[in-house]
Amino acid sequence: MNAKTKMFFKMITSSILKRRSRMIIALLAIIVGATILSGLVTIYYDVPRQMGAQFRNYGANMIFTSSSSDAKLTDEAVKEGVKKIPAAELKGYTPYRYEAVRINKQPVIAAGTDIPATLVTSPYWFVEGKRPEKDGEVLVGKTVADLIGARVGESINVQYYDPDEEDDGLEKEGVDLTVSGILETGSTEEEYIYASFSDLELITGKTAGYDVVELSVSSTEANLEKYAKSVEDANALITARLVTRVTSSEGAVLTKLQSLVFIVTAVVLVLTMICVATTMTAVIAERRKEIGLRKALGASNASIMKEFLSEGVLLGGVGGVLGSVFGFVFAEIVSVNVFSGSITFRPFILVLSLLASIVVTGLSSLIPIRSATEIDPALILKGE
Amino acid sequence: MFFFRMIKGAYVRQWKKMLVIAVTVALGASIATAMLNVMLDVGDKINQELKAYGANINVVSRSASVLSNLYEIEGDDEVNVDSYLKEKDVGKIKTIFWAFNITDFAPVMESSVTVNGKKYKAVGTWFNHHLELDTGESVDTGVINLRSWWKIKSGEWINEQSSDLKEVMIGSNFAEKENLSVGAVMTVTGKKGGGDYKVRAVYSSGDAADDTFYMPMSEIQKLSGTEGYVKKIEVSALTTPDNELAVKAAKNPDQLSRAEYDLWYCTAYVSSICYQIQEVIPNSVATAYRQIAESEGEILDKTQLLMTLITILSLIGAALGISNLVTSSVMERAGEIGLMKAVGAKNSQIIFLILTEIFITAIIGAVAGYFMGFGFAQVIGRTVFGSAIDMKGMIAFIVAVLILGVTLIGSLPAIRLMLRLRPSEVLHGR
Repeated sequence: MNAKTKMFFKMITSSILKRRSRMIIALLAIIVGATILSGLVTIYYDVPRQMGAQFRNYGANMIFTSSSSDAKLTDEAVKEGVKKIPAAELKGYTPYRYEAVRINKQPVIAAGTDIPATLVTSPYWFVEGKRPEKDGEVLVGKTVADLIGARVGESINVQYYDPDEEDDGLEKEGVDLTVSGILETGSTEEEYIYASFSDLELITGKTAGYDVVELSVSSTEANLEKYAKSVEDANALITARLVTRVTSSEGAVLTKLQSLVFIVTAVVLVLTMICVATTMTAVIAERRKEIGLRKALGASNASIMKEFLSEGVLLGGVGGVLGSVFGFVFAEIVSVNVFSGSITFRPFILVLSLLASIVVTGLSSLIPIRSATEIDPALILKGE
Repeated sequence: MFFFRMIKGAYVRQWKKMLVIAVTVALGASIATAMLNVMLDVGDKINQELKAYGANINVVSRSASVLSNLYEIEGDDEVNVDSYLKEKDVGKIKTIFWAFNITDFAPVMESSVTVNGKKYKAVGTWFNHHLELDTGESVDTGVINLRSWWKIKSGEWINEQSSDLKEVMIGSNFAEKENLSVGAVMTVTGKKGGGDYKVRAVYSSGDAADDTFYMPMSEIQKLSGTEGYVKKIEVSALTTPDNELAVKAAKNPDQLSRAEYDLWYCTAYVSSICYQIQEVIPNSVATAYRQIAESEGEILDKTQLLMTLITILSLIGAALGISNLVTSSVMERAGEIGLMKAVGAKNSQIIFLILTEIFITAIIGAVAGYFMGFGFAQVIGRTVFGSAIDMKGMIAFIVAVLILGVTLIGSLPAIRLMLRLRPSEVLHGR
């Protein structure tokens, strides 16, 4: 390192160290600016993913049905179809098999299903009591419960009458199931009873495929349509349909939300950048005397410019690094508090906010330095 | 008088610096104003957006038969009017305490009919119905807004006001099965009559409605002989997310204490809106459509929390920006203050002078900033939600307190420094 560069660094470090209070003010402004930039941009990019997960509270947004009216969906077909959906986006799927049964001589529809999976595809189900945990337990829709007078903990007798057989009018021996919970949804689900597949096989005395498979997929409507197509291509037995009510509304609300965060970020960002710029201007402007002195000692405009600019860039760099870290911490706090999940680290946001703070600081120090260097040193030193 | 001359002098000589302070304060104030307004209004706005999911409350008759719902076992000839609601009661929904929160509603009637020799379930409803209420107000409501997810593949929505009512909108699956398209005429035969209907539109809904068709309410009542009756009413209401009180009340409102009951009744919980609907419509049961009601609450809460945190960050940013600038601008004036001290000014006089200057500047900046923030909030509202943000007067007060507080705090460290200045040192140029 030659003497000139050594001097250069000495001047910069000493100017920062000696003017500590002013530099802290400038640094603080830059840090706040960079924090807001990196924090809000991180949130902006993470909102669709995080909010999308919230929208899965609406439950299934895609359903598989059988494409032929004679054949039900087979387990293999469903597994093959589900494979076509990226595992990271598939929140869960629940197959259903429907059979007409009778309870207390009243006709009721019984659904065989994978009860734990309904927690994902139908998270909005309100169950008085609890969802069935083992075979022999049944979840009864509220309407059915009112109809047959069933209460939680009681046992109900479920009988099956094969629609293909002649009804001989004889009382059949049914299967006793314990009511583990009463289901309230405010919708048609209240008109069914839900049991495990093995219980339904016991009741009907035969195995069969699925009538419907509900899937909850965390993705955009366009992607969902693509998946539906590839599922249908993969297995001809499956007809995959989107639950448009859920998918299209979700898309609309998510877009609105993201553009809200975007505009807010843009407005806040422009304002903070102006704040950083005014602070830098003020900090540099008071050093006119110093600039005058240097000029009087024979420093060229270019060398003064270079030195002050490097100071600004250094300040911007340090502020940018600290700010991006704080911004990420802020985004993480938001994410944990709002969505109770961690945020994805995106290195490009760190680079972006670092570059932005360096450029803004550099540019905003350029203007006052230029005006200071243009003035006659004698005038500045005289104090006018 | 001398005091005013000093202040006037400061503004005349240092107008540039004062302008920078005023601009920074204005920017800070505008961030605060815009963000606070957006934050307080975002709940309502998102709630409106979530209405795209359709109805969240379903009203049926208390004695509606479970069996007919499940198996369509309807008395073939006799219409059991007990299981229906009266159409003339439908408008009463708009007279409940939370009437303002009811965004849309439409009665629905279903009946099995025959088309081309095959049995189908036809749905009758209001499309864009004009309703004169007993209170003298009039409402336009109908299913158009309650089915915003429908994609109209061809044709257009039935217009009850202009077109004649012999029209139907058919689902895409139904259209395919019966090979019908827009403009075609189909014969529909119900229990009590029949008629020819022109296909006005083909829609795709992604659910069971694709297999059926929709027609005006009065027409289906003629076909099924249920004039004046509807099967259910779909209601879309803006609701407040449930809390413990709402859950408790939903089980049994009679268990609440008087104070709890009043609080619950006067809050737009979905359960209290349901309760109020049951009060005005005789013989009705209103139930929340959980899939919609629950998820809406979640999403609303999250959005509001998100906006609150973003607002706090922006406020901190604005506050630091302002106090930073105030600090540095006061520090700059060391020389001037030294001179004042040298000619015998007291500390208190100097502080009063400087604070007055700064506060005049801050107030000018804050007022300008408030109106700028007003503008920003409207820009955000217009671009994102397509509607104006509701401005609350309370915010002007909050912003004023915030700006004055921040300015004062920003001047404190500088003032402390000033008091410690020795005039001789400053004037000597150190």
